[in-house]
Amino acid sequence: MKKINTLKMIVMLAFATLWIAVNPAKAQEKFFRAVGTPHKPKVELTFNKYYTYEGLVDAMKKIAAAHPGLAKIESIGKSYLGRDIMTLTITDFSVGKSEEKPAMWIDGNIHSNEIQGGEFSLYAAWYLTEMQGDNEFIQELLRDKTFYITPTINPDARNDFFLEPNTANSPRSGMMVLDNDGDGMAGEDGMDDLDGDGHITMMIRKSPTGRFIKDPQDPRKLIMVEADKVGEYEMLGQEGTDGDGDGRVNDDGVGYYDPNRDWGWNWQPDYIQRGALRYPFTLPENRSVMEFVMKHPNIAGAQSFHNSGGMILRGPGAEEDVNTYNREDIRIYDVIGKKGEELLPGYRYIVVYKDLYSVFGGELDWFYGNRGIFTYSNELMTSYLYFHKQSAGRGNQDENFDVDKYLTMGDAFVNWHEYEHPQFGTVEIGGFKKTFGRAHPGFLLEQDAHRNAAFTIYHAYHTPKLSIMDVKEEELGGGLKAITATIFNERLMPTHASQDLKYKIERPDYVTISGAKVVAGFVVEDEDFNKFAEQKMSPERIAVENVPGMSAVKVKWIVSSGSNYSITVDSAKGGKASWKK
Amino acid sequence: MKKSIFSWLLISSLGFFGTAFAQSDDYPTLSQVNQRMQQVAKNSNATLTSLIKTAGGKDIWVLKVGTGDLDQKPAIAVVGGVEGFHVLSTELAVQFAEKLVAEHADALQTTTFYIFPNMSPDAYEQYHAALKYERRGNAISVDHDRDGKAGENGYSDLNGDGMITWMRVEDPMGDYVVSKQDDRVLEKADRSKGEAGKYLVYKESRDDDKDGNFAEDLKEGIAFNKSMTYKFPVFQPLAGDIPVSQLESRAMLDYLFEQWNIFAFVTFSPANNLSTPLKYNAGDARKRVVTSILEKDQTINAMISGIYNETVSQKAFQQNNQGTDGDFFQWAYFHFGRLSFGTPGYWVPEYKGADGKGKSNAEANYLAWADSLGWNDVFVPWTEIQHPDFPGKKVEVGGIKPFLMANPPYVQVGKIADEHTDFILKLAAMQPKLEMLNIKIESLGNGLTRISADLFNNSPLPTHSDMGERSRWLRKVRVDLDVPQDRIISGDKIQLIDVIDAYQKVSLSWIVKGSGAVPVKAGAPHVGFINANFKL
Repeated sequence: MKKINTLKMIVMLAFATLWIAVNPAKAQEKFFRAVGTPHKPKVELTFNKYYTYEGLVDAMKKIAAAHPGLAKIESIGKSYLGRDIMTLTITDFSVGKSEEKPAMWIDGNIHSNEIQGGEFSLYAAWYLTEMQGDNEFIQELLRDKTFYITPTINPDARNDFFLEPNTANSPRSGMMVLDNDGDGMAGEDGMDDLDGDGHITMMIRKSPTGRFIKDPQDPRKLIMVEADKVGEYEMLGQEGTDGDGDGRVNDDGVGYYDPNRDWGWNWQPDYIQRGALRYPFTLPENRSVMEFVMKHPNIAGAQSFHNSGGMILRGPGAEEDVNTYNREDIRIYDVIGKKGEELLPGYRYIVVYKDLYSVFGGELDWFYGNRGIFTYSNELMTSYLYFHKQSAGRGNQDENFDVDKYLTMGDAFVNWHEYEHPQFGTVEIGGFKKTFGRAHPGFLLEQDAHRNAAFTIYHAYHTPKLSIMDVKEEELGGGLKAITATIFNERLMPTHASQDLKYKIERPDYVTISGAKVVAGFVVEDEDFNKFAEQKMSPERIAVENVPGMSAVKVKWIVSSGSNYSITVDSAKGGKASWKK
Repeated sequence: MKKSIFSWLLISSLGFFGTAFAQSDDYPTLSQVNQRMQQVAKNSNATLTSLIKTAGGKDIWVLKVGTGDLDQKPAIAVVGGVEGFHVLSTELAVQFAEKLVAEHADALQTTTFYIFPNMSPDAYEQYHAALKYERRGNAISVDHDRDGKAGENGYSDLNGDGMITWMRVEDPMGDYVVSKQDDRVLEKADRSKGEAGKYLVYKESRDDDKDGNFAEDLKEGIAFNKSMTYKFPVFQPLAGDIPVSQLESRAMLDYLFEQWNIFAFVTFSPANNLSTPLKYNAGDARKRVVTSILEKDQTINAMISGIYNETVSQKAFQQNNQGTDGDFFQWAYFHFGRLSFGTPGYWVPEYKGADGKGKSNAEANYLAWADSLGWNDVFVPWTEIQHPDFPGKKVEVGGIKPFLMANPPYVQVGKIADEHTDFILKLAAMQPKLEMLNIKIESLGNGLTRISADLFNNSPLPTHSDMGERSRWLRKVRVDLDVPQDRIISGDKIQLIDVIDAYQKVSLSWIVKGSGAVPVKAGAPHVGFINANFKL
């Protein structure tokens, strides 16, 4: 009966909507809703292009303005050059307090050339806010969880990547300038965009002793001649000049340091970990994130977007930290990471230190080691996305030329052209653009953004969710009764990672009874065999060290009075729940 | 006439200091330290800067002393107050500053000095406070026992004597017994010999937060000397969650990272690599996270240690602290790449009784020595008190008074300061020293000239230690030939040299076109610079 009514209602509403749609909103009649994507979004965003810092902030402000009940925007600190590091807090603000719900931190672009973390983070914010209106799953998610989304934690150098001449690999650091060649001067030999196209490509020169020729079937390609053949060209390396007269081209530009070697877990100095600065959180950008995370102990999961190579990475970053990640937590990492491999075709779930390279002082190790937050770094973009086959990986030249020929129609390559060089004479400049290779081409951006957002949503969904169920009473005689409450965590993650328990990083979860006179209180260790751990101090507020994922913890009180009591559970990472008789 | 006025001024100012010392028979208060530093800073060679104020509102001072182009001369940094309870260390740094400007201005011709008199002023204050105890942490509030509440179980003055000593609880489950060497002293029962314990021993305190532990959540903050990056003891009491988290530590490091001329540190703190040098361990030195002094640097340490032991009269005794996790002394070497020397400046001497026998227990040794000198106010006799947390049990408060083991009576400080000033000046005299030798100017005809020379390091120290060579935060030795690039036919206009070892040279050679003077400049801030002029 109820079903039929609902069905009728839906049909009526559908007609009504159709009628409204047909009449005043003429623009919309040309569109029909595709599954899985916000339809008629309040904020029109497209995900087939890249946004400068200002572009990202503009979009974030529009999201916050269009969805005041779901999104708030704030600056969590300033960058080295004084830009605001902008963060969106996304949750259903009409239910509970944002800082008391289990939360997911998402950031991107810590390496400034790894740009699409910005767009992917922004997509997640846009998707959550625009879908909430008509998707039950997102409604529940935003009632339960909070998302803190910071699309770029390196705003200065993000803009530098777009607006200044660069390769696909530069700049990796922020805009602080250091002495890289040890000569006592900083940044005196940076990149030179000789042909003024915004891309630092390669230089070649005709030479009777050169070992290369242009491939006769594809003159963009430089190939080495056979051992017994004379070549035509020599390679001169990166487009640029020797700016400081030391015989090397472009050897002291912006940086160099690595913002992802600046975090305060197993931090090591530069001679051990190239790219480290003075001490952890030397960089104001990272310091802002650290302080925000310290002030938000509700953050239980975190995602950091990098590029490239199609990886879902977990720590440890260094073999020296193998024992930090123990089996219980790895089991949870594995479940979420393997789900990620399904959601993200071409991506592999791997471990930094053994499958990639060693990192001391990386962001993901700090989040987990120092704060007990389950954290992944995704290396976005994989060449699998081009032709849906596993290739030789990033930098596979032949495949890149095919991609550019058949999919991007030559748009990714600067064709060789002559240039009069002050030091080398006549050279030819050309090569792949900075926005190709590591960055997604426009037509692949939205799909991969959606898939990665789906992965972080799955991750966020599995931050702890606590409920109080099954409150039982037992008369003990003499005016006493026993009350046993079961605290259930219906998600994968525990309220305290085993790393957290080992170092007591976060306070215990508190289960409190009020409205009853408590004589004694216990954590139930084994209900069937009557094993209890008594808490002598403040027994009305039982400290539970952890509520594991998909498991329950029981607490028990002996009370001498109270018939209208209530029970609450209060967990930093697990949120709050209450029960009333 | 002019000279005599100057001498008179000098004498009177010394006299002023002399009387200032004479009036006081105890270590200075913070405001007295500030006044004395300001007095030193009146000297035109000295500049006093407050790097920051601590959470407790105290200045972190650095005094930079030197003449001429200060930043282009090799420098030594002298650091005190690394531990707040080690009040001697601040006094040694202050007296070094006073003696340097008043009596050793000649050293400034070649060396610049940075003096940080007190890195733990918040903790230092406890020495003069109504309740005296050996404090390490600054003034911020920290949850040392990580139970969700900060600073809720500090010390309690149970016997009301204005200082924190120890308490012992008679308990068959205790793990301490009365020492056979001195019945005032407690030591751990030797379980390996089946010895039963008699006492539980704690710092004088109550269980304020009712968690069964005593003085485990101190009402003090982060210890400067336990929160540096080298072997940072994460999550431990007094260390905190991340290294270099405090205003004073960040301000000091940010300042140091801008001072490229420091080649050595002398740190007054409990760690000691001067009485005995650090030992090289090949395995630990080879690992990528290096935890042993490097091989070449060990020989430097041994050489400087020899000079220290010749200069400082007190013979080493029980000096087995060669660094603790997160400390400053090790940071200066392992993470900042500078030569780093540390000494407490003072330790309780070995005392042998009439029978010629010493005592291996440090407290028993101290008490025997104090007894021999007739010091009868160094020990609080064990006295029974009523302790709310141990009803029905015998609890006594007592022990050696705070500060006495780490700091000598103030009257002894003058001699210690003199000897350590001498030592620092000897170290300064050994600094790397570049010279341009064997200069040869050969005409090759047709306006071409070959210039060759040896760049010689006339010093027992290399320009870069092994660790210094690895560090990004020391500059290479740079040689600049100051002629236009188009006049240089061969050789580098700018040449970078990784290291010139002790009494070693690097040979330089150029072929230059044209005539006229060719200036050359060589050096690095922590090595000093020399200028030469080749006349073609």
